[in-house]
Amino acid sequence: MGELLRRTRYLFNRRRLDAELESDMEFHREMAARAGRNNFGNTLRMRERAQEAWGWTWLDRLVQDVRYGIRILARSPGFTAMAVLVLAIGIGVNVAAFSLFDMVALKPLPVRDPDLILRLERRSPNAYTSEMAYPSFAFYRDHAKTLSAAMAVLGVPPMQIDDDLQPTSASFVTPNYFPELGTQAAYGRLIDSARDDSATAPPTVVLSYGFWQRRFGGDPSVIGRVIHLSKKPVTIIGITPFDFASLGGQRPDIWMPMVQQPYFIEGSKVLTDWNDSSVRMWGKLAPGTPAKVAEQELRALTDQLRKQHPEAVWDQEYLQSSPGGHMQVMQPEMYQVAAMVGVLTLLILAVACANLGGLMLARAVTRSHEIGIRIAIGAGRARIFRQLCTESLLLATLGSVAGLAVGCAVIRIAISKLDGPKWLSATPDWRVLLFTVGMTVAASLFFGLAPALQIARQRQQRTIARQILVGAQVAASCVLLIVAALLLRATQHALYTDPGFGYQQLVSVDPQLGHHGYTPAASRAYLDQIQSRLQALPGVTSVSLVKLPPLGHAVSRARREINGHALLMYPNWVEPGFFKTMNIPLLTGRTFYPAEKNAVIVSESMARQQWPGKNPLDQKLGDGDTKDTVVGVVGDAHINALSDDDATEQYWAAQQDDMPGMTVMVRAGGEPGSLSPTIKAISENLAPTVLPEIRQIKLLYHENVSQIEQVAGVVSLIGIVAVLLAGIGIIGLVAFTVSQRTKEIAIRIALGAKPAAVLSAVLRQFRWPVVVGLVVGAGSAAAASRLLRVALYGVSNLDPAGYAGAIGVLMAIVIIAALLPARRALRLDLARTLHYD
Amino acid sequence: MLILRVLQTNSLHGYAIAQRIHLLSSEVLAVEEGLLYPTLQKMLLKGWVTAEWGISETNRKVRFYRLTPEGRAHLKAEVAGFDRVTQAIQEILRTA
Repeated sequence: MGELLRRTRYLFNRRRLDAELESDMEFHREMAARAGRNNFGNTLRMRERAQEAWGWTWLDRLVQDVRYGIRILARSPGFTAMAVLVLAIGIGVNVAAFSLFDMVALKPLPVRDPDLILRLERRSPNAYTSEMAYPSFAFYRDHAKTLSAAMAVLGVPPMQIDDDLQPTSASFVTPNYFPELGTQAAYGRLIDSARDDSATAPPTVVLSYGFWQRRFGGDPSVIGRVIHLSKKPVTIIGITPFDFASLGGQRPDIWMPMVQQPYFIEGSKVLTDWNDSSVRMWGKLAPGTPAKVAEQELRALTDQLRKQHPEAVWDQEYLQSSPGGHMQVMQPEMYQVAAMVGVLTLLILAVACANLGGLMLARAVTRSHEIGIRIAIGAGRARIFRQLCTESLLLATLGSVAGLAVGCAVIRIAISKLDGPKWLSATPDWRVLLFTVGMTVAASLFFGLAPALQIARQRQQRTIARQILVGAQVAASCVLLIVAALLLRATQHALYTDPGFGYQQLVSVDPQLGHHGYTPAASRAYLDQIQSRLQALPGVTSVSLVKLPPLGHAVSRARREINGHALLMYPNWVEPGFFKTMNIPLLTGRTFYPAEKNAVIVSESMARQQWPGKNPLDQKLGDGDTKDTVVGVVGDAHINALSDDDATEQYWAAQQDDMPGMTVMVRAGGEPGSLSPTIKAISENLAPTVLPEIRQIKLLYHENVSQIEQVAGVVSLIGIVAVLLAGIGIIGLVAFTVSQRTKEIAIRIALGAKPAAVLSAVLRQFRWPVVVGLVVGAGSAAAASRLLRVALYGVSNLDPAGYAGAIGVLMAIVIIAALLPARRALRLDLARTLHYD
Repeated sequence: MLILRVLQTNSLHGYAIAQRIHLLSSEVLAVEEGLLYPTLQKMLLKGWVTAEWGISETNRKVRFYRLTPEGRAHLKAEVAGFDRVTQAIQEILRTA
């Protein structure tokens, strides 16, 4: 330890200590000369040996190498600029992707004890749901000793404030939600356990900061004001802070205590119904308890619960815990997607590095003179190799600083455009910085190692390395372009396929009668009345009922094997007039009779897949004793899976028991927006406590589409980047090869060879690498694209148009890359070239 | 080891150390510059000696090296080791 200190002290006082040593040795010399002994020896060498004893020579050498490297790079600014640009793109893309992943999955939420927070979901071997019944939640909360606290969140459809036209997103939370997260109110107070835990306490609501600014103009006097939510008076008690971080990434505009939910939604049995799974549960581990121990205790509790309330618990159900302290609770599929994106960005980096490696190899030839001299003077090969590696590291550092800047800029733009939560910032945290450093080292290894080895061994004449680099570039660019092309085709398909129903003029009216405590008979009465009143309106063409409305909150999907075919089935329950209202064509057969039993109508693709070549009518469907008969076939209408071509639909006639869950679909003759106020008025008139959620399908559809368009934009960008990099690399390398052999080309042309023949001779060395690269690239893309299936709706992963397009573009680049330098060679001034030596 | 021993009695500058060793060994051992100064630097690094400024016989400012307690301890250990080895060698030479 003391030694290290002394060494460091030497480092800081170097100049002075070295001067002292020098004066010592000079004195020694003087005295020796006086005594008549003149054995001088090499002063400098002895001094250096003395200084070596301190052990800092490696630092000296490094500084020397870096200085030299900077000089070399400054001498060829064009090369340096392009290299930094290429690296900035390659590294920047990776940094951006990792930052995104970091923000979503790795960064802890800015709340209290984020690493103790767990997300608890119900799982069993056959089923999975992210929500549980409130009474179950209460049971776990009261009995779990390994959890120091349990919080629940209940999402509800948007509620109406006062007389606003647009409803506001809302959430109910248990009173310990804000205290456990350690949130401080920006103004007023937040929901807490002391004052908001009983149903008889005065109703309170907390506003989100953004909503407070938008709706109330940031006026602090709203605290204490009474507003009306769903027509019920409630007092505003506080505002959440500007950079509030909520669990699970939900950002409702208003928050209310859980126990008051029945006050707002009359007749709601959410708090007591063991069958209604609607709350999301989070827990906080008791300090020092690992998650596994908590899971075990919960498992025991689940078994206990099953004995007391078997209707609330599935067979073999258990509670699965995932870390809840991050923005997004990661599911395994998400990790897969993240890994895929990671591989793609690494490919881009590989292309960039292969690019750069080729350029460095090319430069190596120009430096052979300088290196030859150094070796002649006595530099060891190891020294030269080290110096070249330092140069690569220097270049990589420059590139990665630029790349970090690029990546952060991209993230900043992404956060602002996608309206991210306010606590996210684009500034890199230690994880991102560490990642960047790792990337730098990896990149400099990729592009620096091979050339450095080659140069140090003075074997640049071999073209194998160059060919491999070109081949690698072509292969990686090929994969990138093919993936981009496939994704583009998929988004194009998603954007322009006809969804199969007339979404333009539809409005869905969801009264959620079940949540208001309506019985099936009462629901039937309500629905009949509202349907007849709506039908009577002049702007309405047709009205009907459906259980799972298009682009709705709930989706039901099952993957089944029927008669050996695997099918993706989307069931639904409808009234007879549904198909007419939705403009879904009836192809053969008939629609239902009201409340018909054992009848099913299937979509065309289902009929085709299930009973190929046969008449689908009168076929039987279903397991169990009573099978359903197919009475009609309708056109495909993927109302809840817009882009999924594999989806098939089945429709059953709605029965009396389905009535509390039905939604009304209205087809407008003209502009559907104009109907909303009228529909609201009618429903208020009919039943003042029921406030249906009214949504225009057209708007939902466009929202869906715009998301897809954004994805398409990003994918195109990636494709362009890949194309650019491939182009730069290949052009650069070919240009250099040609310029190397300018003299030879000039001589041959002067002797009478056709320019084309000469050029093809020079470029022949690249023929095989390109072909092999294309084959390897296309092959790997085909193999890997199976993983993309999840995103490639409607497009086969071996889609010929996509592959052909990508390969075509790449070939075009390669040809241009070959021809551009060619044109220059052909316009050579032969006399000048041959004179110039 | 010899350098350390020479410094045991009093602190000397570089040339004086070389001279003294040469003298005391009856001109058998001569320490060259090329060996002396690197060794002195190593000893500075290890903390066995410290350097301080003084005036030489010729009225010139020069660094004098002085033994530190760690240096003394190291010297004792080295001398003991050397003694042991020499004794062992002598035994073999005498009896073998």
